[in-house]
Amino acid sequence: MSVFTDDVINFTSVLKMAYNFLSGREYLKKQKFRERKKLISVVLPFSDLSFAAGAVPVFPIRMESFNINQYLVALNSATSILGWGLTTKLLGFIKQFDALKIFDTILDEVLKSINVKYNEMYDLGVENGISSDFCYGIKGLYGMHVSKGKNVDANMNFAIRCSAFNKYYESLRKLVPRQIWVDIPSRNIGNALELLTENITNAISDLEDITGNHVADNSLNKQFRIGNQVKRYYKTIIYEISAEDFYPCNPATFAEILSLLGISFQDYNSNAQRYLENIANLVKEMRERIRKGIGMDVSKMPRILLTPVFGGWEPETQEFLYEQGARTLYADWEILGLLEEIPVSKGTNPVEEYARYLLNAATEGIGCDNNTLTDSYQRIAKKMNVDGIIFNQLFGCHSISNCYPMLREKVRKKLDIPITSIIFNKIGENVEQIKTRLGAYMEIVKPT
Amino acid sequence: MDAIELLSDYADYLREKKDQGKKIIGFMGHDNIPEELLDAAGFIPLRMIFAGNDDLMHASNDYLPPSTCSFAQSCIGLFSLKPSQYHFLNLIDHFLVSNHCVSDICTSEIITKYFKIPRLNFYISYTQDPEALKYFKLELLDLKQQLEKLIGREIKKQDIIESIRKYNLFKKKLSDINDLDISGVDKLKIFQKAILYGPVILPELEDFIQANNPNHAQNSKDSVDIFFTGCSIFIGDYLINLIEESGGDIKYFDTWVGDAYFSQVFEEEEITSNDDPLDFFVQRFENNKNGDHTVPYYFENKVTQIKEIIKEHQEKKGKKLRVINHIIKFCDHINIFQSFLKKELQEEGIQVLNLERDYSRANRGQLSTRVEAFMEMM
Repeated sequence: MSVFTDDVINFTSVLKMAYNFLSGREYLKKQKFRERKKLISVVLPFSDLSFAAGAVPVFPIRMESFNINQYLVALNSATSILGWGLTTKLLGFIKQFDALKIFDTILDEVLKSINVKYNEMYDLGVENGISSDFCYGIKGLYGMHVSKGKNVDANMNFAIRCSAFNKYYESLRKLVPRQIWVDIPSRNIGNALELLTENITNAISDLEDITGNHVADNSLNKQFRIGNQVKRYYKTIIYEISAEDFYPCNPATFAEILSLLGISFQDYNSNAQRYLENIANLVKEMRERIRKGIGMDVSKMPRILLTPVFGGWEPETQEFLYEQGARTLYADWEILGLLEEIPVSKGTNPVEEYARYLLNAATEGIGCDNNTLTDSYQRIAKKMNVDGIIFNQLFGCHSISNCYPMLREKVRKKLDIPITSIIFNKIGENVEQIKTRLGAYMEIVKPT
Repeated sequence: MDAIELLSDYADYLREKKDQGKKIIGFMGHDNIPEELLDAAGFIPLRMIFAGNDDLMHASNDYLPPSTCSFAQSCIGLFSLKPSQYHFLNLIDHFLVSNHCVSDICTSEIITKYFKIPRLNFYISYTQDPEALKYFKLELLDLKQQLEKLIGREIKKQDIIESIRKYNLFKKKLSDINDLDISGVDKLKIFQKAILYGPVILPELEDFIQANNPNHAQNSKDSVDIFFTGCSIFIGDYLINLIEESGGDIKYFDTWVGDAYFSQVFEEEEITSNDDPLDFFVQRFENNKNGDHTVPYYFENKVTQIKEIIKEHQEKKGKKLRVINHIIKFCDHINIFQSFLKKELQEEGIQVLNLERDYSRANRGQLSTRVEAFMEMM
C-alpha cells in the first residue's frame, strides 16, 4: 500500500478524476456510438480545438480497459445523485466503518493500474517496431495507438522541437490514417504568428470536415474560457496550496494529485466542463481541509521540484522522497508555458490568440533550444521557491533530457539550490538505483 | 587519398583562405542549409561530416547523455578534444545552429556556448505545407540579415544567383560522377572531398570524370550491388571498406553525403525564374520530399523512391540492388522507421539489412559479421 491512501478518501474530486480517467473506455464508447461524436487522439495538452469542434479529444491510454474499484463506481453514481458536498460527507461517514480498509487501497489501485497499463503499452510499442532506444513516452504512445488507434477518427499532431516526437507522429499514419497537423514555428520572427494562425485555421477546417460541425469564434472562446479557468485552478494548486506550511493531505498524496492532474490535463478526461468542475472542487476541498486543520504540517519538509515527468517517470520516487522527509512537486505544463491563459475578451480573434499562446509556449516555454528551456526551468523553480530540483532524465530523450548539464550549471550559479538527476527508462526498472541516488541527494537538501 | 591526408590538405586550404581574410561558418551538414547564401556573403561553409570514434563520443558526455546520436556526440568530441588532424576547427568564426533534428540543435548550441563560437540561427519547419514554405522564407531572410550584419554590407541579389549557379554546376558534376561505373569506395571518397571543399574543386571533378569515362569501367561483375540509405558515411569511417571487403559495391548513396545533396540541381531557367533568389531555396526545400527531416510523408516517399530506383537498376543493369539501411545509434529520424522500412521492402522481395551502429571500435567485428552474412545470403 502506498503512503498516501489513508487521507485521500475525503477528496471526492480526486477520486472522481481518477474514476473518469479509468472509466474512459465506457465513456468514450458512449460518445462514439450513442452520441455519434468523433474521437480525436491527443497527446500533450492540446485538446482545445477538438473540444471547440464538438469532437472528443482522448489521451489514447484512456481507451484501454482498466480494473475499476467498485467504490469508485459507486462514488461516481453518488456524486451524480447527491452532489459533491453530501458525497464527501457520506464518504467520511462510511470510512469510519471501513474495517477491511478497502478505501485505503483505492487510489493505490488506480495508480498501479495506470502504471501497469503504461508498461504494457511500452512493450506493445517495442513489439510493433519502435526501437527500444526511443523514450518511454514514444514507445508507450505508439503502443497505445497499436492497441486502440482504430477507434479514433484522427490524430491531432503539433509539430514541436523534438524531432523524435514529430517522426513518431508520422509513424502513426499506418495506424490512424487521418492526421491533423499544426506546425508551430520555431521562432517568433517576421509574420510567424500569422503563419501559425493560418495553420490553426487549416486544422480547424480539418476538424470541421471530420465532425461536420462549424467551429465559430464563440465555440473557441467558450472552450478557452473553460481552459483558462482550469489553468487558474491548476496554478492555484502549484503556487498557492503547494507553498502552504499546512497541506490538506500528506505530501505524498499531494504529489499523487499533481501527477494525476498532469496526466489528465492532456485531454481534460474528454469532458472539459466536467473537468473544470472537478478541479474547482479539488481546490475548494483543499482549502476547506486546510481551514479545518485536516491534513499535515509540512513546514519542516523541503519542497522538491521533480521534472520533467510528462514523458514518463518512476512513480515510487515521490514515495521515497516522502519517506526521506521531502515533498514532491510537479509543474511540467507550467514550465513549458502551457498554463498560460488565452485572452477571450471582446474583439479578439480566438484563432490568433490561440496561435499566440502556442507560439509563446514554443518560443518562451519549451524553447527552440536548451538555453531557453533551461531558463524556463529556472524561472519556475524560482517562482515556486522550491528547495531543490530533481531532473528526470528520460532514457532516449534527445530533446528535453539533453538540457540537464546546462540546467545544472545555471541552477548552481543562479539559484543556489541542490539539483540532481535520475535516469528513467521504464516503470519499476531502476528503483533501487534511484533510491540510492536520492538518498545521497537528500543528505544535502537542508530542512527548511 | 586517405582521410588523414584529406583532412591535412583541407586544413592547409582553410589556413590559406583565412590568411586571405575569409571567414568560416561551420554547421552540422544537412540538406536544407542554403550554403549558397553563406558563399554569396563571402564565407566558407564548413560541413561537419566527420566520423567519430570512442574518444570523441566519450568526450561529449560532459555535455550530453550517452544516449545521444553517436554522430552528434562525436561532433562535440571534435571540439572538446581537438585531435591534431582537426585543428582546423579552431579556424571556424561562426557556427550555424539549425534543427535538422533535435540533436542538431543541442549539439550546435553546445558547440557555440561551450567552445565560444559566435552563433547564427536557421530553423526549418517539419512540414512542407504553404505556411511552412513561407516560414522557410522568413528564416532565409533572417539568416541573410544575420550574415549582412557580420559583413557590414548587403548581400547582392546577383551574388546569390551566381553562387546558386556555381553550386548547381558543382552538384551536376557530382551527379555525373555518381553515374560513372566505378566502385562505391571511389565514389564516396570524391563525394566526401567535394562536399567538404565545395565548388572550388570543380576542375578536379572534371578531371576525375575524364579519367573515369565508361571505357574504364572498374566494377567487378561478382560484387553485390547495394543501395545505401539512412545515415551518411562520414569522412574517416571504415564502413565503406568493410562493405567492399565483404563483396558489396554501393551503387547509390541515398544520404546527405550522396544523392540527397547532389540531386538538388536545377535548370538555368528555374534558377533565374524567381525575382528573389531566396525563393529558389524555398523551391528547393519544397522539392526535398525524400529528406528525412520532413513530415508526414517522408517514409512513404522514401519507400516509393527506393522501389523505383531498384526497379530501374534491374532494368538497366540486369542486377538486383540490395538495401543497406545505415542507422547511427540514437538517430531519431532513421531509427524510428527502420523496422517499417525493412518490412515494406521485404514484402516486395527486396533484401534489406538494417545496420545499426555507433562509432566504437568494439563494434567493428560485429558489423563485419553482419555485413558478410548479408552478402553471403545473396
